[in-house]
Amino acid sequence: MRRYVLRRLVQIVITFFIFITLAYFLLEAQPGDYAQIFLSNPKLTQAQREALKATFGLDRPVHERYFRYMRSLLRGNLGISFSNYPRQVADIIFERAPRTLTLFLTATVVSFTIGFFSGKILAWKRGKTLEYVATVGGVTLYTVFTPWFGLMMIWIFAAALKLFPIGKFITPTLWRGAPIEATVLFQRMLLTAFIDLLILFFWLLATRAVRPDRRRPVQWLGVLVVLGGLAAYWVPTGLTRYILDILHHLVLPVFTLTCISFAGTMLLTRNSMLETLREDYIMAARAKGLPEKSIRDKHAARNAMLPVVTSFVFSLAFAIDGGVITETIFSWPGMGLTLLEAALSQDIPMVMGGLVFTGTLALLAHLVADILYAYLDPRIRYG
Amino acid sequence: MQEPRRHLDEFLSPEERERLRQQPLWKIRLRLFLRSLRTNWRLFAENRIGLIGLAIIIFFALLAIAHPILMKYVWDPTVYDPVVGYAYEETMQPAPPSSRHLLGTDPLGRDVLSQLMFSARSEFILGLVAALITVTIGTTIGALSAYFGGPIDTFFMRLADLIIMLPFVTILIVLGALFKLDLPKLALVIGILSGFGGTTIIIKSQALTIKVRTYIEAARVAGGSHWHIIRHHIIPNLLPLSFLYMMFTVTSAIFSEAALSFFGLLNIRMSWGLMIHTAQTAGYLLNTKTWWLIVPAGLSITLLCAAFYLVGRALDEVVNPRLRKR
Amino acid sequence: MTEPILYVDDLTMHYTTRAGDVSAVDNVSFTLTKGESLGLVGESGCGKTSVAICLLKLLPDNAHIKGGHIYLDGVDLVPLSEEQVRRYRWRRISMIFQAAMNSLNPVYKVGDQIIEAMETHLENFSYPAAREKVAELFRLVGLDPALMDQYPHEYSGGMRQRAVIAMALACDPDIIIADEPTTALDVIVQDRILKELRAIQQKLNMGMIYISHDIAVIAEVSDCVGVMYAGRLVEKACTEEIFHHPIHPYTAGLMSAFPSIVGPKRELTMLPGEPPDLLHPPPGCRFHPRCPYATSICMEQVPEFKEYGGDHFAACWHPLEG
Repeated sequence: MRRYVLRRLVQIVITFFIFITLAYFLLEAQPGDYAQIFLSNPKLTQAQREALKATFGLDRPVHERYFRYMRSLLRGNLGISFSNYPRQVADIIFERAPRTLTLFLTATVVSFTIGFFSGKILAWKRGKTLEYVATVGGVTLYTVFTPWFGLMMIWIFAAALKLFPIGKFITPTLWRGAPIEATVLFQRMLLTAFIDLLILFFWLLATRAVRPDRRRPVQWLGVLVVLGGLAAYWVPTGLTRYILDILHHLVLPVFTLTCISFAGTMLLTRNSMLETLREDYIMAARAKGLPEKSIRDKHAARNAMLPVVTSFVFSLAFAIDGGVITETIFSWPGMGLTLLEAALSQDIPMVMGGLVFTGTLALLAHLVADILYAYLDPRIRYG
Repeated sequence: MQEPRRHLDEFLSPEERERLRQQPLWKIRLRLFLRSLRTNWRLFAENRIGLIGLAIIIFFALLAIAHPILMKYVWDPTVYDPVVGYAYEETMQPAPPSSRHLLGTDPLGRDVLSQLMFSARSEFILGLVAALITVTIGTTIGALSAYFGGPIDTFFMRLADLIIMLPFVTILIVLGALFKLDLPKLALVIGILSGFGGTTIIIKSQALTIKVRTYIEAARVAGGSHWHIIRHHIIPNLLPLSFLYMMFTVTSAIFSEAALSFFGLLNIRMSWGLMIHTAQTAGYLLNTKTWWLIVPAGLSITLLCAAFYLVGRALDEVVNPRLRKR
Repeated sequence: MTEPILYVDDLTMHYTTRAGDVSAVDNVSFTLTKGESLGLVGESGCGKTSVAICLLKLLPDNAHIKGGHIYLDGVDLVPLSEEQVRRYRWRRISMIFQAAMNSLNPVYKVGDQIIEAMETHLENFSYPAAREKVAELFRLVGLDPALMDQYPHEYSGGMRQRAVIAMALACDPDIIIADEPTTALDVIVQDRILKELRAIQQKLNMGMIYISHDIAVIAEVSDCVGVMYAGRLVEKACTEEIFHHPIHPYTAGLMSAFPSIVGPKRELTMLPGEPPDLLHPPPGCRFHPRCPYATSICMEQVPEFKEYGGDHFAACWHPLEG
């Protein structure tokens, strides 16, 4: 198991460098000298222009600039954004990535949960009318043209019903005179959420040692303790209304993304379940006289879960990918919107930074998927 | 238990045999092909979901075919041309749907229905070209990797691993923003990315199961060259699966085109995505009253994508017996 | 003679397929008493497994019981709802499957899978007691109790087989159905497990239905043998009787198709022809196209399944004389 993970790690690091190299030369190969466009900004003096040229290494040949870039990349320095001069690319990523991650992490978790449960039921109800309705509806949502669907959601829920704000990250009027900056608060929110999830994860892991018949209550106890801790931390700070404002802005994008992507999980789960249901141990479970629900949930779904979990982690990796579209529609100031704006304004360091970030995320997700897969399937774990 | 082998001739009368002999080979092949087509069609038609998809595709195909005819015989090009037409008789642009303009006009005074029908053709061409490139690459590489194994296999599989890790839409957007893609180039990029990516992996794993079948062994023993075996035995058996993945590629190609056009990143005269882009740049995006600028185009993209996806899924049940009803 | 615990009466089951109805089980009747071991033998596709599936009512979607009754302790299982039948499964009738190797779920520990069955069926279930019981069962089938906390893939084929037998015994069932449980194992392990299964069955005084195409195996484990052909029971008698005095020509043919190691040397004769297509079974006696003694009556009328003295039943127009 350890050797397997190590080997994957090495493979992934190599892949990462190939990816960065490809991206770098692709961007270099684009027509028009982006540096000239940037440097021709009339506000710059000649001296500033020269100084900038030297800082960016624009006067050096391509391969030299490449090695220079790679060296600074290893030190965690992604350069300076052209369009946000003089902000560091890394700094911008640090500010915007958490918003993207939160939006898509929440949406992915919700849509996978819904998709998994509905797919399970769909496989069980093979050939009924429900299957046709759910499949056609699901596929339509899955292949829906995202910008259009996002608009429809805004039309219905924000413009017509006025349940949610039309877009953006916060309500500016509410935040006037707020004791804390939105970005800082958001980062603190994420930190607490992350710590709690970590605690919960290890708690659930630890419950594996508990006898199966007592496991459930112990697990719920853990969930309650963590939620209680969260409340105990935030309520005294008096920041809850700001937190609620951010969450309020989060609801519609999350809901939209869930609608779009749950069907993918649903259909995958259904196919995976249908294959699992043909296994002999399902027949054996029925012969054992187990209740239908137990056969479906414990025996079939647990095995059908393997490919679903993998696709879950992958779709996390592609959060930003779909993010460009969704973030534009909802004016959600995350990585996707940043990347699009950077590409449109030929802000090459920012684009590069965005690609590095996306690539890292994708590769990490692959690694996590491998480990999770091994964890869920004892045949691999001990193989 | 092996059944005693009988020669085909044993089942035929001498006259029939003679008649069969006189037929050219292609005719026999065609008949066999048609027969397998009929069986597969029956399997496909059992699935109502696939039929729904097929109906939608045919509907859009009819729209695409009808457009040039309408332009030539019914519609006045100065008014109805999807790109340069102008609805002179309307006082306000965009004009709501009327008997003259069934889906109204866009902010530039152009007929929405005409744009919709005109775009359908380019969506089909783009989708099919991209899918053909994907499948050609995927099938060839998949067959070669599976057949030869070794360094060829390792190289292409690592490449595929790399490509499936790439954020597809982001790459297209970056490319679109920096290079101003047109339709053929977009088809090429999509075709290459998905051809060398996921499609190859799936087709290769299928090719591996074909490679170990006895008839491949037999062909090798009979002295068939590598190329002969790959071309005549492996690739024909991969085609059903390739065809299936063509459907999924069409979906993703149409979607990508729409997304890029929506951001205005594509060098194209007219498309569904561009129609929404036009509405957006003219400031009608969040206006529910001018729904005809957004809804028909958005719905068309969604329906056509969904249709190809549904057909792909239905084909999946034909190609992949494990999913079939017992 | 003791009271029968299981009484199958005129059981008929069809599979609906695209090409038409397949009559997989046709008017099958037999009884099983407590502690008795009944062997069901026949060529593959003759409906042995279908009978087993009917007894547990584990029917696939396209299978329907068309008629007949399955009385378990006087209660007819056929009209019962799925939920009611569920309580009988494993508690009263358990089963060792054909693909025993794969009837353990790969993602759960073997012990937990056995305990799960007990948890479902036993009143006053307690976890420590269940573990104790599993340990006891493991010792009974010749497995180290420490193995119960391992996953199925860590077992060898023979060990998995034993674990599956232990699982079948978990709720002290009245009847255990073994459907060719040893086919996937090598001959030596197969023989050992067979002997152990027989010993356990006798020790616990359970009813057992052993299904196999291998008449030698059947001879080893059964008190009584039922011979099936094309969905019908064609002969049933105690093992001694059926081996020495077969009445139905098919039984006789089946006997001679297997070599005997101990008995006197004799000519091996193969049964000519193929088992019939159950989509279009031949009229009358289903065996007539392959039967050397067939006459016109065999082609027209179904022979009655009647007693030929001493609990020896057969359905044939031209019974062989012992």
